[in-house]
Amino acid sequence: MTFIATDIGGTFTDLVAYDPETNTIYQGKSYTDPAAITDGIARCLEKSGVPIATAAEFIHGSTIAINTALERTGARTALFVTRGTRDVYLIGRGNRPESYNLFFRRPVPFVPRHLTFEIDERLFASGETHSELDEESVRSALSSARARGVDSIAVSFLHSYVNPAHERRVGEIIRQLAPELFVSLSHELMREYREYERTSTTVINAYVGPRMSAYLEALEVLLAQRSFGGQVLIMQSNGGVMTPSTARSQPARTMESGPVGGAIAAARIASRLGIDQAVAFDMGGTTAKAALVRNGFPEMSDSYFVGDTMSGHPVMLPVVDVIEIGAGGGSIAYLDEVGALNIGPESAGGHPGPICYGWGGLRPTVTDANAVLGRLGSSNFLGGEMPLDVDGAAAALVGQIGGRLGLDAESTARAIVDIAVNKMALAVRAVSIDRGLDPRDCALIAFGGAGPLHACAIARDLHIPTVVIPPLPGHFSALGMLIANIRHDFVRTCYRELEEVQWSDVVAVVEEMRAEARGLLDSENVAADSIGYETYLDLRYSGQEFTLRTPVADDDVAHGNKASIRKTFDDMHLERFGHFAPDEKVEVINVRVVGLSRRPTQSIGGSSATGEGPQRRSREVGFTEGGRVVKSLCDVWQRESLPTGFVVEGPAIVEEYASTTVLARGDRAVVGDEGELVVTINR
Amino acid sequence: MIDPVTLEVVRNSFPAAANEMAEDLQRTSYNMMIYEVRDFSCAIVGASGELFAQNIGGVSHFVADLDVVIKDAVERLGIASFRPGDAILMNHQRVCGQHLNNMVAYTPIFVGEELFGFAMVRAHWVDIGGLSTGFGAGGGMVTDPWVEGLQFDQVKIMNEGVANEPLMKFIADNVRYPEAAMGDLRAQLAACAVGAQRVQELVDRYGVDVVRLCLARVFDDTEARCRMAIERIADGEYVAEGWLDHDFVDRDERVMVVAKVTVSGSDLTVDLTGSSRTRRGSINARTRAAAFIAYKGITAPLEPLNEGSFRALRVEIDEGNFMMATFPAPMAQWSIAIPTAVDVILKALAPALADVVPAGTYGTLGGAMVFFGNDPSRGGKRFVSQTIEGGGWGASPSLDGQNASVSVCQGDVRNAPIESLELKYPLLVERRALRPDSGGAGRRRGGLGQVTDIQNLVPGTWSMSSIPRETCPPWGLNGGRPGQPGYCDVRLSSDGTWENGGDTRKVVGAGAAQRKATGGGGGWGDPLERPLEEIDVDLLEEYVSPERAEIDYRVVVDRATLTVDRGATSVRRSEFDDAPR
Repeated sequence: MTFIATDIGGTFTDLVAYDPETNTIYQGKSYTDPAAITDGIARCLEKSGVPIATAAEFIHGSTIAINTALERTGARTALFVTRGTRDVYLIGRGNRPESYNLFFRRPVPFVPRHLTFEIDERLFASGETHSELDEESVRSALSSARARGVDSIAVSFLHSYVNPAHERRVGEIIRQLAPELFVSLSHELMREYREYERTSTTVINAYVGPRMSAYLEALEVLLAQRSFGGQVLIMQSNGGVMTPSTARSQPARTMESGPVGGAIAAARIASRLGIDQAVAFDMGGTTAKAALVRNGFPEMSDSYFVGDTMSGHPVMLPVVDVIEIGAGGGSIAYLDEVGALNIGPESAGGHPGPICYGWGGLRPTVTDANAVLGRLGSSNFLGGEMPLDVDGAAAALVGQIGGRLGLDAESTARAIVDIAVNKMALAVRAVSIDRGLDPRDCALIAFGGAGPLHACAIARDLHIPTVVIPPLPGHFSALGMLIANIRHDFVRTCYRELEEVQWSDVVAVVEEMRAEARGLLDSENVAADSIGYETYLDLRYSGQEFTLRTPVADDDVAHGNKASIRKTFDDMHLERFGHFAPDEKVEVINVRVVGLSRRPTQSIGGSSATGEGPQRRSREVGFTEGGRVVKSLCDVWQRESLPTGFVVEGPAIVEEYASTTVLARGDRAVVGDEGELVVTINR
Repeated sequence: MIDPVTLEVVRNSFPAAANEMAEDLQRTSYNMMIYEVRDFSCAIVGASGELFAQNIGGVSHFVADLDVVIKDAVERLGIASFRPGDAILMNHQRVCGQHLNNMVAYTPIFVGEELFGFAMVRAHWVDIGGLSTGFGAGGGMVTDPWVEGLQFDQVKIMNEGVANEPLMKFIADNVRYPEAAMGDLRAQLAACAVGAQRVQELVDRYGVDVVRLCLARVFDDTEARCRMAIERIADGEYVAEGWLDHDFVDRDERVMVVAKVTVSGSDLTVDLTGSSRTRRGSINARTRAAAFIAYKGITAPLEPLNEGSFRALRVEIDEGNFMMATFPAPMAQWSIAIPTAVDVILKALAPALADVVPAGTYGTLGGAMVFFGNDPSRGGKRFVSQTIEGGGWGASPSLDGQNASVSVCQGDVRNAPIESLELKYPLLVERRALRPDSGGAGRRRGGLGQVTDIQNLVPGTWSMSSIPRETCPPWGLNGGRPGQPGYCDVRLSSDGTWENGGDTRKVVGAGAAQRKATGGGGGWGDPLERPLEEIDVDLLEEYVSPERAEIDYRVVVDRATLTVDRGATSVRRSEFDDAPR
């Protein structure tokens, strides 16, 4: 019984598989060919030697949807909207987040104006009909759209979130008259108010839909050729998985699935270790990512932007709340025109990469600074496959930066690393504080190639007491995919005062969404006893705009226990924002239901220490002490050789194939049951 | 020598703290002027008012304007009047020079016994009594500050940690939406606490002297960056003017903005002294915002704001100028002239910065649609609904202007979703659309304005605030044509016709509607140089009608395919060649 996870990145395709019965881990890595993505998967399958024909599950994280949007290679898409709202999608919210930028550009729409058609229909906010749907106007728009060669149609009507009848009818007409077209109806994706954001989401879904469908077919053919008889599951942005048939109609739900695997795996390790609050920190070559984990679950956000937050396209679908920070190992350090030392956002990327890789990189990076400080082993980087050119890196640090600041190579390197650490610490703090979490009450779970290198320093900056370095930190995200639940999120806007709401209305809405979830889960053939539901109310004080997603216990749903719900909300508001108003009215905005099929909890990895005993070398490593760099001869441990319970005292380095952990003086690491390093940070 | 690491930590930490304050405020405020319009600013300032950091993303006309509040307090009340645990309210126009809705709440930050600085939040309260509901209460109704609302002159709402309960009650009794006002005040004070805490942490870690030293260097760096940008401009004196048609009271007298911009090396002076004197209409203010915004736009638009941002800029506005009006001049609509003033300053610099300066934008704060009344379906509860719609931006040498975007003053201000307006209020949005043909013709076309029709389903009052730029439409540059000005109409019943809505309040019955059309941006460069393929796109997208294309771009449009007829066009243009343009 093997479970296979594949992750398609821009540069590499990754495969990790696990057989819990034999505790075997398979790995494969190959380049990604954007023109033939499935070929990369095929190569990984071959390289890893995983027994595909007998595998139980094939879990797939794909960047097809997001790349189709970012590269603008999606379908020729038309948009049908309510009469009077043709330009709502083009106008958006009219804002210019870069206030002083005279040349600010709004996102370029995926549907041009001439492919946007107004349909005669109108509802009131209550869902009652203002004007009936004129089916003739639908047929006429459809024939114009087809004449203009569209492959896909998005339909988004005002107030369809409360009454989808008109959208539904339009969907029937299109499917009947033009069955070859991909159709996306806004209410099928989300039942929540805000027409621009819902339209944008629907348009993106329609835009990426045809390519996603074609891709999934190719994937199924590839697996069928290898006699795979198990379940294919597709990773979603919300941290769950779904079947290919759901993914085909709702590809927008896979948009931000790339970085969520790590957050899921971090949540699992946090709950295993009894850690209530943690920051999952993933640092790679070009960016770092941070997500919060609370009570065993990654924090969610109800919307995000494709592109960037300043000028991206809004998508109103739940997503694991991952914040990107523009600093990675490859981030370039430079002095700007006034002599300030900056790190990133420009990155040396994979090629030519940092100077010390010796592939022709000319500008110093964070990785070069770590090499100069001896934190990366010059002769045993990537298990010795790649010797590092430390002298070249040191010369560039002095030549391009240190010389002008009066600093030698090591002091320059220390400044670069510490500034990068501070930059990441500020970002991590923003993630936690904005969400009402005090870093002093958190653990930092660090992974990705460069995460363990900086984790203890970031933790020290933020007064975080504990750092956890999981086993296989370089493959942690793919491991996370193996344990993701099947998950479907539903939402209904239901705007009332909490005090006045007829509780039976809320129960009816919850039941309706649960039935919908149940239907979807049944169609995915999940075991009945694995199914569970979560219920949330989006609440706010009357007059506020932003809501808090407030969890509601099943018991409180059943009995309409408003006092208990309200108390949860008041407490959350106080925790998150530092004040609350228990005497004021509270409004319900949305009701949310999550339908889950829980996967059996698996234990992955475990200490694989060999009998030879802990292996130690030593070398000179530079640390920051008292605001300057101090070099000391310190232990360098080989991680794979450390048994459970082993203690490493800083200053020390713990090396493994694709990552390096740095412990400063006073930091103390203990090897845990499954091989994780649990570090107590010296303050 | 400052440690480079400490320097960068300080450089990054102050803006992060100001942004954290903003995030906190926005998430918990009680009125859409804050959470949607972002009509607020958060700042950390020094003990004598120097700007340590200000948040990014709020409205731009609050740029670096809190120093006067601190200077006034120190001068009149003395630095010893501040105690730990104090919180002070200030909106007095003698000093603040803005409409009274803009309430400053601030708290002192102490390091030990010593006053280090202040955490400050200015935010637009939805009502502050008097005629303050909505945007300046429309037209010429506000004749002085007392008509407008309540004035707070450096009043302690918290005294060494103890709330001033009688004052709280007094406020709640004298504003129309006390839950909103009290909620916003709470959010403001919580944001101040966050800012103060961040400063405290930094000072604890590095010591107050090191932090001060680093800040001084950060300011110097910012100043140096700005100077580098100005140095690229040829020395000289550059002049331009523009105007609003009137001030809503004296209707046959323009409100002039005259800018003389002097560049000398890396120094830049904006002299606005030639502009109109204080007016009877309430468009007066005490503000340097226009000069600051224009300067920031051409120097370091994406950099955080601090004391160094404007050190190399000199702003001259004489006392008694409508932008430096003497108390008690009416200031209810204090900000509506600022976008025009920014545009005028940029226009002055256009000859020297040909590749940077865009043509005129729609040019007013306009686009606000405000309706208030009582909602029978909610027990007759009083409501006020507002949305702010964008207009067309000017074209620049390399780009067509942006369509339907908010003014240079409004940054991250967002329109209200139609579904949100209709869910909360008895309104029906009949149309939210681009205005074809409103963008000025040019090699690069001006952005399109927008037209929005909103019907009220219950009786109530529309605030009409027309857009007084009809005689001074958004100008083109380098041969580009002006954009169309905006207007504001009313329809008195659901089957009535649209008519000019005037510019005061309009009391209407159910089924009436307001139409707000915002102006289009000016064009850049000779329209005859616009590539025909781009005109084809304009026609296909219906940004430009065939009729206007034939007039403005001197093309012949094939009405069947809605494309430019190349052959007929070259014949037509050659016929014109000898004729004077």
